[in-house]
Amino acid sequence: MNSKPSISDVTVARRRPLSPNIQIYRPQLTSVLSIANRITGVVLSLGAVGLVIWLTAAAMGPRAYGAVHGVGSSWGGRIVLFGFTFAFFLHLCGGIRHLVWDTVHGFELRSIYISGWAVVGGSVALTVAAWTVSLLLAG
Amino acid sequence: MIVESSDQVARFTLLKRFPVPRNFKVTPESRIEKGRTWPAPPGASRIKTFEVYRYDPERDGNPRIDTFEVDLDDCGPMVLDALIWIKNKVDSTLAFRRSCREGVCGSCAMTLDGTNWLACTRFISDMSKPATIYPLANLPVIKDLVPDTTHLFAQYEMIEPWLHATTPTPEKERLQSPQERSQVDGYYECILCFCCTSGCPSHWWNGDRFLGPAVLLQSWRWLADSRDEAKEKRLDTLEDPFRLYRCHTILNCTRTCPKGLNPGKAIAEIKKMVVEREG
Repeated sequence: MNSKPSISDVTVARRRPLSPNIQIYRPQLTSVLSIANRITGVVLSLGAVGLVIWLTAAAMGPRAYGAVHGVGSSWGGRIVLFGFTFAFFLHLCGGIRHLVWDTVHGFELRSIYISGWAVVGGSVALTVAAWTVSLLLAG
Repeated sequence: MIVESSDQVARFTLLKRFPVPRNFKVTPESRIEKGRTWPAPPGASRIKTFEVYRYDPERDGNPRIDTFEVDLDDCGPMVLDALIWIKNKVDSTLAFRRSCREGVCGSCAMTLDGTNWLACTRFISDMSKPATIYPLANLPVIKDLVPDTTHLFAQYEMIEPWLHATTPTPEKERLQSPQERSQVDGYYECILCFCCTSGCPSHWWNGDRFLGPAVLLQSWRWLADSRDEAKEKRLDTLEDPFRLYRCHTILNCTRTCPKGLNPGKAIAEIKKMVVEREG
């Protein structure tokens, strides 16, 4: 066998490197809010499981509910619930932003940044407001 | 910080890169190694340091980052000038594409300080210390800063970027009213530098099937053209879970376009047109 190497042989011998992407690309409000929307979506699915556990416990009776309530009102539980609330509002505000985009509005770069920061600010404010109200009501 | 236009360089960023491991999703042949340092010529007083991605296909070894010290008193104001200075005075083997040196050809698109832009229209004074120069992100590298754009142009060819008409050719040109003509403003100016597609995370993960912002903007350029008669066929080609709908409106494209165009908006227009034809 004395065949010349074909182009594909050479390619196999030496694959071209891929220029770096996420390893070097700068995080920007655009991409950070996009990935945040993904992550909060996952968090909300996990939170939905927690909601089911809470409702099931309530249906099972005072003992089961008391146990779940104990976990939820502990410091660790409250921190998790606070994070869950924030994820809920960030995902909600982000979702509204996407709905507006679906009507082909708010695509100028300035609008993209204003709505982006509004999502950040709005979800922080709503989270704090929701907790203030619930803590005041709970006493 | 509110960004008003894409040419605004970020003055402040919390993170220079995403908190992922350096070699996250990196194949062995793409791992970047440390290169050598090329010191400034003796007597240089205003020195700027550039970290430049190097890859030589004719030598064994992985890509590496070389450090060049550029004498700013001997060099023009743009990043492209610095690259030409390096090639002329320091290392003539440095490979990069360039042609017009005024932002109309799109050849010198690169990842500068972590975002995509044309080397000829970015001031050296706007670069960080040290400045970093990588080939356009997420593309196979032919040599140094020269990426292989074959796949991107194959995707471009797929949308048949030319006028389709079945009506008989008129004696003179196909006429458009000024109002009809204005519909392609903001889209016909695309120079196909692929800064947007290369900066699109969705194209990073699904670039084999997702067409990416540059090609979709070009699609809209023909869909919006009153003379084109193949709208249905064009929309049929695009209406696909990957080709069009892998766009998740991240909008890195609009943030990075060196011509100040709006690929994100063009894609939203296409999605709206698809919905409207469903009735």
